[in-house]
Amino acid sequence: MTVWYATALILSIAVFAVVLYFARRSATYQDLDRRIQSEADLTAGILAESFHARGVLVEKDTAGRPVLTPEVAAVLEVVPDFLLVTSRDGRLLFASPDARALTFAEFEQLNAITRPPAPTAAHVPGRFRIEPNGPTMHYIVRAVPDAGDQFGTIFAGANTRSAELRLEQLLLTIVIAFFVGVVPAILVGGWIAGRALEPIDRMITEVREITDGRSLHRRLAVPMERDELGRLAETLNQMMTRLERNFAALRRFTADASHELKTPLTVVRAGVERAITRPDTPPETLAALEETLQEVNRMTELLESLLTLARADEGRADLHRESVDLRDIIAEAGETGELLAEHAGVGIEIRLPPEPLVLAVDRSRIRQLALNLIENAVKYTPRGGQVSVELAGNDGRALFTVADTGIGIAPGDLPHVFDRFWRADSARTRTSERAGTGLGLAICKWIAEAHGGTIDVQSRPGRGTTFTVGLPRS
Amino acid sequence: MKILVVEDDKTVGDYVRRGLDEAGYHVELVGDGDEGLRRASGRGANYDIMVLDLRLPKVSGIDVLRTLRDRGVGLPVLVLTAQDSVDFKVQALRMGADDYVTKPFAFEELLARVEALGRRPKAIAPPTLKVNGLLLDTGSREVTRDGKRIELTPKEYAVLEYLMRHQGRVMSRTLITEYAWDYHFDPGTNIVDVVITRLRKKIDHAKEPKLIHTVRGVGYVVRA
Repeated sequence: MTVWYATALILSIAVFAVVLYFARRSATYQDLDRRIQSEADLTAGILAESFHARGVLVEKDTAGRPVLTPEVAAVLEVVPDFLLVTSRDGRLLFASPDARALTFAEFEQLNAITRPPAPTAAHVPGRFRIEPNGPTMHYIVRAVPDAGDQFGTIFAGANTRSAELRLEQLLLTIVIAFFVGVVPAILVGGWIAGRALEPIDRMITEVREITDGRSLHRRLAVPMERDELGRLAETLNQMMTRLERNFAALRRFTADASHELKTPLTVVRAGVERAITRPDTPPETLAALEETLQEVNRMTELLESLLTLARADEGRADLHRESVDLRDIIAEAGETGELLAEHAGVGIEIRLPPEPLVLAVDRSRIRQLALNLIENAVKYTPRGGQVSVELAGNDGRALFTVADTGIGIAPGDLPHVFDRFWRADSARTRTSERAGTGLGLAICKWIAEAHGGTIDVQSRPGRGTTFTVGLPRS
Repeated sequence: MKILVVEDDKTVGDYVRRGLDEAGYHVELVGDGDEGLRRASGRGANYDIMVLDLRLPKVSGIDVLRTLRDRGVGLPVLVLTAQDSVDFKVQALRMGADDYVTKPFAFEELLARVEALGRRPKAIAPPTLKVNGLLLDTGSREVTRDGKRIELTPKEYAVLEYLMRHQGRVMSRTLITEYAWDYHFDPGTNIVDVVITRLRKKIDHAKEPKLIHTVRGVGYVVRA
C-alpha cells in the first residue's frame, strides 16, 4: 500500500514539476522576446530623439568608415546584449560591446541578418543559432522610420543562454526539492501507514487464531479510541458472538437430534426385533420384518455418519485410541473381504507384514475404514476381477492399500469421491441394488485425517482404482 | 436375579422389561431419575443390576449415577445412551457406570452386557452349546460334530454360535450380520449367505440330519 501511495506521490509531483518547468520556460522566452523588443524600440527612440535634436548622427571615423556620432554611441553603449545599427546602404554604424566581443565569423552571422531587404516598419522577430556550437539567439530587426534616411535597421538580439541558465536553476531546484520532499514523504508515509496498519495485522492474526474451530469463545481486544479500528474490532466480535451461538446451537441440535431420532429408532427396532425372534411368527411376516430391520439399520447408519461428520466439522476428533497391531484389524477385515469377494465372484489377495505393526489408533474406526474400502472395492469390481489388500510398514508410517481391477472412476469425478453424498453416475446406474449412503468415503477421509494420516485415490476408468491410507506411527 | 430399569420412554422401557423377563430376570421399571435413585439407594434395596437411561426427566441419568456412587452404592450400572461420542461414554464410565449400550441397540447386545455384569463376580463357566451331534464350546471355541473336530474361521464361528444359541428359532440375516460383524453392510451384500454356504460344507456335508436350514427371504435356523 505504501508503495502505491509513494508511486502516486512521485507521479503527481513529477507532473507538477514538468508543467512548472514548461510554463516557466515559455514565460522566460516571452520575457526575453519582450526585452529585445524594448531594446530595439528604445534604440529607435534614442536615434529619433537625437535626430530631432541634432540632425546628422553619422560621421566618418579616421578610417573613413561611417560611424555613429560618439555622443549617441555613448548612450547606446549601455544597452545590454547584442545591438547593431546599420546605415541605409547596409553598413554597420554601431555594435554594442557584447556584439563586439564576438569573433569575426560569429559577428558576420549577426550582420548578415541586418542586410537588405530591410524591413519597412514592422518588427521582424526570429531566432537562429550562432555557428558553430554557439548559443541560440532570439532577435528582432526593425526599421528606424523617424530618424531621416541615415539609418537602415536596428538589430537587437539576446542570447538565450541567460534564460536557459535560469531554467537550469529552476530544474535543479525542482530535482532537489523532489528528493528532499519525496524521500522523507515516503519514509514518513510508510511509517504512518505501518503504524495505522499494525493493529489491523494484529487483528488478522487474532481472528485467524480464534476461527481455527476451538477458540470461538475468545474475543478481540477492543481499543479505547472509538475510531474505525475500534468499530471494526467491535463488529468482528459481534460476528464471532453470533458464530459461537450458531455453533453452540449446532452442537445442541446434534445432541438433541441424536437423542430425538435414536429413541424412536430404538422403539421401532425393539418392536421388530421382538416380533422377528418369536418362534410363532409366520415366515411371510418374518420377511417383511427383516426388510424393516434392514431399513432401520440403514437409517441408524446414516444418522450415525451424519453425527460423526457434524462432530468432525466442529474439530472434535472423537477417537478412542489404544495400541493395536494393525495386522489384527486388517486380517479380520480381510476375512470379511474374502467372504464378500467369494459372493461377488472376485479374486482377493491379502498381504500382511511378517512383523507386528503396532499403532495407537481407534480400533473400531480403523476397522470401519478398512471394511468400507474393501466393501467398495469388491462392489465395483465385475465378476472375474481382482482385489488386493496390502498392509505395510515403512519408516514411521503404516500404509494400507486397497486396489481393484474394477470399473474405475472418471478423472473428472476423482476430486469429488470424498465429498459428502457424492456418487458417480456410473456407479449409480451400474448397481441394481440400492446405493449406499454416499457418506462412506467422507467418513473414511475423516477417520484417516483424525488419526493424523492421509487418504489418496488413483484410478483409471475401466482399469481399476487404488485407495491408499497412510497412518503416522506416533 | 433382580434388575432395576430406569427409562422414561415407555416403549423402550417395556421392551427392555419384557425382553429381560423372557430371559429369566426379575425386572422393575421406573420412569424417572428421582424414583430410580430412591429405589436403588433405599433401605432394603436388593437389585443386582441397574439399567439406566441417561436422559431422564427431573434428575438426569448422570446425576443419578453420581449420587448413587456418592452414597456408596456399588450396584453395577449399565447405561443406555443416544450419544455415541467417545467423550460422553468416557464421562459416563468415569461417573461410575460399568458399561454402556448405544441407542438404537440390538436387544442381543443389551442382554449380553447384562449377563456379563451379572456374572462378573461369580465367573460362571461358559456353557457348551449342543444341537444333535454338533457341539460348540464357547470357552475354548472348539466345534465338533459326532466327535470330529471342525476348523472354523472367526466369522464362521460367530455365525454358528449365534444360530446355536438360538437353536430352533429363525434368525434374520440382519441380526446375524449385526452379531458377527457389528457393522452395517449394504443390504444387497448378503455376506451371511456366503458364510452359511461354507458352514454347510464343513458341518452338513455328507451328514444326516442336516442342521442348518434356510428360511427364504428371512434368514437361517439351526435345528435337528
